[in-house]
Amino acid sequence: MKSKPRKDGRAKITGKCRFLDDYSLEDMLHGYLLYATIDKGKIINISYPQDFDLNEFTIVQASDIPGQNIVPEPVSDQPFMTEGEVLHFGQVIMGIAHPDLKTLMSFISAIKIEYEEKKAVIDVQNCLDDKIYQFGECMHISHKHNDEKYPEHLKHIEDVFYTQHQEQAYLEPQGMLAEYDLNNNTIKITGTMQCPFFVEEAVKTIMGNTVEKVIVETSEGIGGAFGGKEDFPNLLAGITALLAYKAHKPVKIKLDRADDLLITTKRHPSRIAIVSYTDAITGEIEAVNIDYRLDAGAYQTLSPVVLHRGILHVSGGYDLPRCEISGFLHQSNTPPNGAFRGFGAPQAIFAIESHIDNISKAIGKTPLEMRQINILRINDEMPSGQVIKEDNLNECFERVLEISDYTNKYKQFEQYNKEHKDKKGIGLVLAMHGGGYTGNGEKILKSKVKMRLDQNADVQIYVANVEMGQGAHTTLSQMVNEELNIPLEKVNVQIPNTGKTPNSGPTVASRTIYIVGSLLQKLAAQIKTELKCDDIADYIHNNQKVFPREYELSFQPDPNDDFDDKTNQGIAYHDFSWAACVVEIDYDPLQYKVKVKKCWNVLDIGRVINNDIALGQVYGGVTQALGWALTENIYKKGYPRTRGFTDYTLPTTEDTPEMMVEFIHTESAVAKGLGEIPMNYPAPAVRNALIQATGIIINDLPLTPERIYHEINRSSL
Amino acid sequence: MIINFHLNGKVTSIDTDPMRRLLDVLREDYKLTSVKESCGEGECGACAVLLNNVPVTSCLINIIQVDGGNVITAEGISETPLGKLIADSYEETNAVQCGFCFPGFLVTSYHYLNNDPDIDEDKIKWALSGNICRCTGYRKIIDAVQLACRKLADQELDHESI
Repeated sequence: MKSKPRKDGRAKITGKCRFLDDYSLEDMLHGYLLYATIDKGKIINISYPQDFDLNEFTIVQASDIPGQNIVPEPVSDQPFMTEGEVLHFGQVIMGIAHPDLKTLMSFISAIKIEYEEKKAVIDVQNCLDDKIYQFGECMHISHKHNDEKYPEHLKHIEDVFYTQHQEQAYLEPQGMLAEYDLNNNTIKITGTMQCPFFVEEAVKTIMGNTVEKVIVETSEGIGGAFGGKEDFPNLLAGITALLAYKAHKPVKIKLDRADDLLITTKRHPSRIAIVSYTDAITGEIEAVNIDYRLDAGAYQTLSPVVLHRGILHVSGGYDLPRCEISGFLHQSNTPPNGAFRGFGAPQAIFAIESHIDNISKAIGKTPLEMRQINILRINDEMPSGQVIKEDNLNECFERVLEISDYTNKYKQFEQYNKEHKDKKGIGLVLAMHGGGYTGNGEKILKSKVKMRLDQNADVQIYVANVEMGQGAHTTLSQMVNEELNIPLEKVNVQIPNTGKTPNSGPTVASRTIYIVGSLLQKLAAQIKTELKCDDIADYIHNNQKVFPREYELSFQPDPNDDFDDKTNQGIAYHDFSWAACVVEIDYDPLQYKVKVKKCWNVLDIGRVINNDIALGQVYGGVTQALGWALTENIYKKGYPRTRGFTDYTLPTTEDTPEMMVEFIHTESAVAKGLGEIPMNYPAPAVRNALIQATGIIINDLPLTPERIYHEINRSSL
Repeated sequence: MIINFHLNGKVTSIDTDPMRRLLDVLREDYKLTSVKESCGEGECGACAVLLNNVPVTSCLINIIQVDGGNVITAEGISETPLGKLIADSYEETNAVQCGFCFPGFLVTSYHYLNNDPDIDEDKIKWALSGNICRCTGYRKIIDAVQLACRKLADQELDHESI
């Protein structure tokens, strides 16, 4: 658990690290996207402004695509550019390039598009409430469920929870640079992305057989991603490549913040209905029915994968003996929603954790008692039938109660609230997150990693996983450095490049350290065994002739990991990370305003490689979750579209609570997933604390003063 | 129009459209790419520079406004003793993540430490509240500034301004 300094630290602090917009090539054109500004309809006519010389511009549209006009995704249903039909605001119509950015932007804003508009579905709640908007296949998990009527003495509680869109709001907007090499007929892409091999496939799809080779490399720095640079870069790279191919010149597209907010993927809004049957005397939950719905936006793209993770996390850290879970996607006319840290789990954990507190209020047990009674324990089964083999969630739970002094505070706040106009509240939640791809995903992906040992005993690591701020390249190097005992400064991860790095999979799903890091560590151990030597540097020194030498290793799944994709029964995730959290809030009844004061986090993420980097993930994830809980909202009723950080309210230093973080089992053999779990639990913790502060049950996010005002006034009617 | 100003300690002049954003002039004409564009509307502080020793968002400043003035970017700050001390503190606390917002934080924390290097957390939070970071949750940034305050108190820095 050593906190070694980040390799990229100095260059980033001083601004020397190059991000995509800092790249400039000779003869480079600026590119941009022309997109639809209606929610649904058909394009009737496009007219270019008269006062520009059209010959100066490179323009590509659907009819220019030599390959296929479909962005490759788990469900490939979204075109790169429209062929006339508009299903959402922001649907791309054309890519346009010009040597001068200012001229390009004036030209684009002067293009007139005539539409035939149709009635669109924009209201999230309406879309999620009405079954006519369902699309794609529904998913089910049925666990020891039967249709018997539940005994009368069980308390039957029904809730419906809604959560809103959330923008990833990476500080660096999306961008892509494409170069076409006429002599070799190849395309090179440089960009800000999480998944270089997805981008490569997308460019190959749009270009068809017209180019010999596509190579994708990430820019030196990637200015945050959080899932937002998982799938949108596929579309952006495809169009940028096509522009470069047509212009025979390099083309760079960098989105404006407004456009990045308006047209890229967001977190899925959700509607989660839970019906539970609880023994009011013992507090044991006997059975639940859950209807889990996500608004996918206009196209399905990767939404089924989000839905899958969502339904596998919606039971949370609880033992629900009998349960029936159904998952549905709904279609609206907003840009397709996509990946965002947590990937369906934050919505799930928000719903189940809120429901547990609602049950506690209904049957007169405390939130603490409800959790003590129903927490997942060793040998309990999750809805997928996966048996809990470790008591780590319980350990997190007990530890968080201890360090937060939860029980005393809960009582103190009850008393405080009776005596004061301003209020206090404390919220308690449990959470988990499955590491790596869901079900058989990692088995199919078969990640491969490569290492090169040089004559000077430098170690080069080749993986497709990007450094987007999470500290992966330092942490991965540290894992190899520990195993090979070669100094950290001599172990380096190369910038991912699909021509040089093997496909170790996308940088998603809390899998980089857990899956790819474990593979590297295993490979390093194999090298030691193969060379029959502990001092690798010494061995290299004495056997110069055989170096540089490359080593590779592919992922081997545990043969016992069986998962049935149809019934969703089996090992959904080989390892879960666990967490328990307590949040303390102040509530100002005059302003209807929540202020998060303190947040205690206890997590089991297995072995901790770099404590500072791990802490950074928790601090950042919690803060992002607090933004989702309290202020962040893209579509506000009666309010124009969100176009910038002025009206998309992100947490600042002033919103940062005091945060206490502890990791347990830090010396375990396996380093489990970390990136996403801190996003999963803070929102319901704040929401549950607000119940203590106000006595009001609110089932929707975000908890803005407007919503709290509305709910308090409604409940007093 | 010819604009004369000091940039990172040197006298410079540029003949350009007076309404161009300072951000664009610094990035395009001077290749000072520590100055980042993120929100483009003065909310996030990624493009922060010092103008006459006050942090400003360079996306909201027209180049004509700096005529006769003094501009310092993260490139300039990181060459000063105080700038190095702050960068060291950020590095030692492992505060940085994606790094896109960090040059802006360096500028604002330099201004804070140069004027009122108080270790008080609330004061630091207020001073940095114009810089948005989406990765770190700010905890380690605050730790880093506090560390820099302690370091500064422990040593006599040569306060020569650039």
